[in-house]
Amino acid sequence: MAGQIEARLAALGLTLPPAPQPVANYVGFVVVGREIHVAGVGPTWGREVRHSGKLGAQLDVAQGYEAARLTALNLLAHAKAAIGDLDRITRCVKLFCLVNAVPEFLDGTKVADGATDLLNDLFGPDKRPVRSTTTAPSLPFDIAFEADGIFLFE
Amino acid sequence: MSHEARLAALKIELPQPAAPAANYVPYVISGNLVFVAGQITIWNGEVRYLGRIGETLSVEDGVAAARLCGLNIIAQVRAACGGNLDRVKRCVKLGGFVNCTPSFTEQPKVINGASDLMVEVFGEAGKHARFAVGANVLPRGVAVEVDAIFEIE
Repeated sequence: MAGQIEARLAALGLTLPPAPQPVANYVGFVVVGREIHVAGVGPTWGREVRHSGKLGAQLDVAQGYEAARLTALNLLAHAKAAIGDLDRITRCVKLFCLVNAVPEFLDGTKVADGATDLLNDLFGPDKRPVRSTTTAPSLPFDIAFEADGIFLFE
Repeated sequence: MSHEARLAALKIELPQPAAPAANYVPYVISGNLVFVAGQITIWNGEVRYLGRIGETLSVEDGVAAARLCGLNIIAQVRAACGGNLDRVKRCVKLGGFVNCTPSFTEQPKVINGASDLMVEVFGEAGKHARFAVGANVLPRGVAVEVDAIFEIE
């Protein structure tokens, strides 16, 4: 049965992608106590990369924002796989955001807003995470954006 | 087999835990978690694997560099556990930074050098979540840097 958070996703016209398969010798998430530590994920749908390239070269901020939004959906897909029901999440604690960009690109935070705006819409403004954002000269498979996260649940 | 016994059976030698390069500590214990600071490619004070992958270094060099970062992480965790790795319950998370050219996209393969080591030494408890990312420069010019979170008891 889909809960409140998934109902909000549906109201936004969004669905969760399948939880991404780790691309190497690691797992998608580790649960420690009441925390879910989610591995770095990107703007993929299953095995398909939906947003590739660099901000400031092939991609603009609006495209990067969409990549960050899809990345957040993949973080949630892992969180759901970890605990079964997104309604059990009390908050996202922390996001670490990486933007694939040329050195001159300075709008990394506007891109990362694509991830945190979605979390804000789903969980409410008082449950927003702390966030670090940095640009990277390259990312695995040339994905446009990557983020990992820590979620608290009950 | 215990973690210490497996380490001995695999004949894996650990470096001396490296002293921090600036005003921070090599690890912090918070509750049952150990947060390990970013570890670089250093062996008992000697910096190895200097350079950029895709330029002066190969993917294989990068894998070996990531493994050395992993050995330094395990050395720090052992110190955090009072010298006994058997207190490790789980490797929770690795964060991998790869000094590479802008067109290089095989960061996951490079960071496997550290991930594979964790599974070798800790077995099931070594399976972790992780990220891998490219960096255009790393401290002291090293090829790879990795930080970690461990759960201990």
